[in-house]
Amino acid sequence: MMQLIGISPQLLFGQLLIGLINGVFYAMMSLGVAIIFGMLRIGNFVHGAQYMLGAFCAWWLMRLPELFPGLGLPSLGYWWALALAPLIVAAIGALTERVFIRKVYDLEHAYGLLLTVGLAMVIEGLFNVAYSAAGQQYGVPASLRGGINLGFMFLPLYRLWVIVAGVAVCLATWYVIERTRLGAYLRAATENPDVVRAFGINVPRMLMLTYAFGVGLAGLAGVMAAPIYQVSPQMGQSIIITIFAVVVIGGMGSIFGAIVTGLMLGVIEGLTKVFYPQASTTVIFVIMALVLIVRPAGLFGKETVAAHAADVSSARPDSILENGRIWLPLLAVIGAALPFLLDPVFAMKILCLALFACAYNLVFGYVGLLAFGHAAFYGAAAYVAAFTAASWNFPTELAILSGVAAATILGALFGWLAIRRQGLYFAMITLALAQLVYFYAVQASWTHGEDGIQSVPRGYLFGVIDLNQPLNMYYFVLAVFLICFGFIYRVIHSPFGQTLKSIRENEPRAISLGYSTERFKLIAFILSAMLAGVAGAMKAIVFQIASLADLYFMTSADALLMTLIGGVGSLLGPVVGAIVVVTMQKEFATLGSWVVVVQGTAFVLCVLFLRKGIVGTLEGWLATRAERKRRGGALAPPASLRSAH
Amino acid sequence: MAAAADNIIEARGLTKRFSGFAAVSGVDLDVRRGSIHALIGPNGAGKTTTFNLITKFLAPSAGEIRYNGEDITNESPARVARRGIVRSFQISAIFPRMTVAENVRIALQRPLGVSLRFWRSEQMLSALDGRVDSLLEAVGLLDHRDEAAAGLSYGRKRALEFATTLALDPELMLLDEPTSGLGNEDVDRIADLIRQVSSDRTILMVEHNLSVVSKLADKITVLARGKVLAEGNYAEVSTNPAVIEAYIGGED
Repeated sequence: MMQLIGISPQLLFGQLLIGLINGVFYAMMSLGVAIIFGMLRIGNFVHGAQYMLGAFCAWWLMRLPELFPGLGLPSLGYWWALALAPLIVAAIGALTERVFIRKVYDLEHAYGLLLTVGLAMVIEGLFNVAYSAAGQQYGVPASLRGGINLGFMFLPLYRLWVIVAGVAVCLATWYVIERTRLGAYLRAATENPDVVRAFGINVPRMLMLTYAFGVGLAGLAGVMAAPIYQVSPQMGQSIIITIFAVVVIGGMGSIFGAIVTGLMLGVIEGLTKVFYPQASTTVIFVIMALVLIVRPAGLFGKETVAAHAADVSSARPDSILENGRIWLPLLAVIGAALPFLLDPVFAMKILCLALFACAYNLVFGYVGLLAFGHAAFYGAAAYVAAFTAASWNFPTELAILSGVAAATILGALFGWLAIRRQGLYFAMITLALAQLVYFYAVQASWTHGEDGIQSVPRGYLFGVIDLNQPLNMYYFVLAVFLICFGFIYRVIHSPFGQTLKSIRENEPRAISLGYSTERFKLIAFILSAMLAGVAGAMKAIVFQIASLADLYFMTSADALLMTLIGGVGSLLGPVVGAIVVVTMQKEFATLGSWVVVVQGTAFVLCVLFLRKGIVGTLEGWLATRAERKRRGGALAPPASLRSAH
Repeated sequence: MAAAADNIIEARGLTKRFSGFAAVSGVDLDVRRGSIHALIGPNGAGKTTTFNLITKFLAPSAGEIRYNGEDITNESPARVARRGIVRSFQISAIFPRMTVAENVRIALQRPLGVSLRFWRSEQMLSALDGRVDSLLEAVGLLDHRDEAAAGLSYGRKRALEFATTLALDPELMLLDEPTSGLGNEDVDRIADLIRQVSSDRTILMVEHNLSVVSKLADKITVLARGKVLAEGNYAEVSTNPAVIEAYIGGED
């Protein structure tokens, strides 16, 4: 065969085939995510873990005799797995819906995402503990071994089967949803759940079955993927972020759109591997950014009614715990004493992460935007500060400023792309954009891949104060933290902060008063990115390293978790949350892989039982007590009127 | 243009389609400067949609809207509000966790042009306290100024919303069912307020309570199925056979 502009046809068609297969999996998975999102309004982050579960189910069924020796169980092969594993995964999904997901339907959408993030961490963490990172082999079934020689390439039978079967499953799903009575109910429910409730259909069961169905699709994809990829605990972790990007690109409300977009992006990814391999991990995210600029509703998305910012704040504005004029000096005193009570390095870790959480709280708590990509700002600032300090010998303060500038620019870019979309979309977009930055850092040469930038010099502050002295370093970090903390307090108690508050509480009303709310949200987002950058740059100098972990989505999840545990929208919540999370990470560090399980459990428990967080709960308790005292000790109804909302 | 001087709003061929169904089709609407103009019609007639189109909360599928002779068809809702068209909402639109005074102050703050100043203390806003208090006094809420808005009774929430809208001193005030859900006493109070504030501005209101409409409105536009059915003063409209059939006869 002829060479096509220097590309061998074998390579081209080989990658096209791989792309098509990936596309089939993208289509099947984004179909499930889209159905669950459309019907249940849940951003099912645990979808990747459920895909992984499908693959493991297949593997377990194969190994039944070894798993349960002495019971005389047969080894169930691929075809059995294809029938059973999706049902098992769907049943687990139904149970998950029953026990967990159902609890958050009536809450802000943010909680559904947080809950499923927690569940994903628990499931994937447990598998990591049990099977470690190593992948398990799962053979191609005997009946599908071999292949067809097409002349220009060799087409393995199994891959052909995956493409045919996957597309058939997608089309069948499309048919059921678009052409049957059941599907009509589903679609009606997607557009207006309340109406369907009014039909007198058993809505809870319908929701459970819908969730189970979407999850079953992920399980089926997992079984089909098992013979192609290795069966490993990580196989679902990164695919979910790609799937979210696919959903954003395809747009909501079109089942057919999800299928076509999935297949198309798989093929594009495959082609990128041929023509520009460096970009193959990022191409989907770049396409997402471009689509957001040109068609914010997505390629096949219908015009959606804008959901508005959500009020998830747990704070009581008049509580003593919200008074920064008391707490700023108090934190300064506590902070000054801390290195004599704790290991200064540990204390600095708390300060850096507390600042990171405070920065995050500015958008999540005070504006009500569920951002899920703050790792990008934290990590980018860490990398830039580390690089300029280590390679360009920037003085420390200039290196930090460079990092902060990078985070701010990135924040402006992310914000510009994402700010018009709300709720779960905002979360998905920021998550995908952060993943783009992560993959960039994996590939770029100046970031040194897996090694990260090490041995970053701490240097001298203003050329005189030696930051290699632990106490000097500590007090510098403390000073920066206090300045930023005071700055955030000023922002939320400024005319700008008042406007943010009004946007959070009733965005349409704020618009009707003449506020261009998008601009306010964008500025708050940029400020938040900048402050997250301060935290990241400080971290790089303190710990003398910038690594991929700083950019990984788990770092974004950490910010969320700290804010949630402490109390969303409260002044001290993120600080308290940082203390809890950092302590937890330290205490459980010896448990290795269990840390993720513990953290995921914390997520789930917080969403289910402690939505106000520690500080929010405390403020509620103080208010109740004050109220009771005011009424002369008589039993009072809980709290002041401020809690009525 | 003489017409533009007389009419604050001129809408031509206003149409809004939702996936095939036309909520409003081909509506022409002239609102005279300084008048109280009421939009009435049976449920689903397109009154609130028309409101949303004029305030740009919805983009029209077709048609043109002029405000003081200027084309505002493609402007953002916040921009339209800054031009002086301020609306209220059917479901009382307040900021629940802010105090009553803060609710009004957030409206007064906007024209100051300081709202982006994240580095300034909110103390600077205390200069507005005098105007906040006089607005609250006008609607009878001064005694509640430091309470959280969420705790107010429904009638008081509507009064607060009215004060907030009034704080912007709008040239054109759009009130979406200002008396809905209120008891008789509150209806009379709001009606009095509307009359009071109408002296130096234009008011366009959607209203179901026909006795309020008959007392207040200089001109009435009757909508039915997304189209203008009749227009005129209360006497003209209420004797129009088409209106009686479609609206009064149909509903009562």
